Amino acid sequence: MKKFITLLTAALVMAALAVPVSAQEEARIHLIHGIPDTPVDVVAGGDVVFGDFQFGDTQDLSALAGETLVGLQVRLAGTETVAIDAGDTPLPASGNYTIIAHLDEAGTPTLAVFENDTSSIDAGEGRLIVRHTAQAPAVDVKANGAVAFAGLTNPNSVQADLPVGTISAEVVPAGADEPVVIGPVDLPIDDGSALIVYAVGSLDAGSVTALTESITGLGTAPTAVNTGNSPVGTSIPAWAAGLGALLLVGAVSTRRSLFGVRG
Amino acid sequence: MKHSLVLVFLLTLSACGGFGAQESRVEPVADSPVTTTTTAPTPVAGSSAGTPEITDPVSELARRTRPLGTAIPEPLEETTPTPVGLRIDSLGVAGAVVDVGVEPNGEMEIPGAKEIGWYRFGSSPGERGSAVLAAHIAFNGRDGVFRNLDDIEVGDIVEVSYDDGSSQRFRVTETAQYAKDELPVDRVFAKDGTPELTLITCGGDFNRSLRSYDDNVVAYATPLAP
Repeated sequence: MKKFITLLTAALVMAALAVPVSAQEEARIHLIHGIPDTPVDVVAGGDVVFGDFQFGDTQDLSALAGETLVGLQVRLAGTETVAIDAGDTPLPASGNYTIIAHLDEAGTPTLAVFENDTSSIDAGEGRLIVRHTAQAPAVDVKANGAVAFAGLTNPNSVQADLPVGTISAEVVPAGADEPVVIGPVDLPIDDGSALIVYAVGSLDAGSVTALTESITGLGTAPTAVNTGNSPVGTSIPAWAAGLGALLLVGAVSTRRSLFGVRG
Repeated sequence: MKHSLVLVFLLTLSACGGFGAQESRVEPVADSPVTTTTTAPTPVAGSSAGTPEITDPVSELARRTRPLGTAIPEPLEETTPTPVGLRIDSLGVAGAVVDVGVEPNGEMEIPGAKEIGWYRFGSSPGERGSAVLAAHIAFNGRDGVFRNLDDIEVGDIVEVSYDDGSSQRFRVTETAQYAKDELPVDRVFAKDGTPELTLITCGGDFNRSLRSYDDNVVAYATPLAP
């Protein structure tokens, strides 16, 4: 019966917190599992919401936008062992967010909530967002051999809009060239897309690696297609132009000869 | 009994509109991801066949989330072939295709009178979304390679050749003429959706003071099976 009351309460809370559908549609909330080698169960309201969640797995929580995950816990899969005890966790009602279960700088599992920049991207560019969510000290992120982002620390995010193409990325200890922590890895910079790269894992355990997610549809289409700056039909075919020139020369020489005659 | 009580409660809530705002996002059980703790669906007394089954509310949160696969990156896809040539026999058009982007003013970049521009930030012809090939009707006093695009007809065949030596035929499915400011850029530059080849030039009256045409002439084509 106690369980029933809990459920009833949960149902009431959910009903009370229901937000307008319009806000729901705007919200995009993804949850990523960013702790290597650690299958987990995600628990809310005392029950497993999704179980045996593996490293890299992503779950769409968008439909829960604006609600509170009551007593949110991440437990080692199939056990009562709590890895992350997040407590009551309100989810944003709108906007674009990624929640990642990851290790903090000291190696303790935790949850981080990142708001994703979905502002429009100029035509011909893509957005690269890099997030430090690994048990590791400050790092530099190199793009095509040069430091692009310096001194990035857990749990922070840096970003830049870059020309479309492929960049070769490396993560190295801040201020050093080696040892290379991640990479080199080829990252696609696609027109109008945001590529989000998470450095995850444990430096001590040698499990540091990258996870990625992308957000598309942020691009800018050309504003117009202007394909003509002169009226049609005025174009003179080459043979006609040549004939015209000959006639002109002929006319001039004829007039000269006439003048000559007159002269 | 517990289940029935809860169900009655939920149904009452639902009938009162308590869950009204959520109904649109609650999918039928059959389509929902199954999670480890979802109890077996409980039949609702008196429910007719075809009515979505209502599960124990334990799974309510679970039913409203869905797995999206893995964030572990895959190796980059091989680059897709890009267009280098275009033939439209019905118009006598045969020309080289060059990559173009955008001008500083935000307009699509267009090559010289005798070349066709492929919008390289969009799809390649045959890929999902709209692949845009644009060319002049007339440029600096010369007729452009798309001088007669407004004569193209539904059913005409357009052939694109690619940088890997391959080619692909498309069939024109629709032709249109739009005032410049009414060009449907969301469709023309769509990055996703059914593969479509979009041919664009100018048309309508030539405005001598603006040195520009009033309209865009557009032909849409879809890929034919090889």
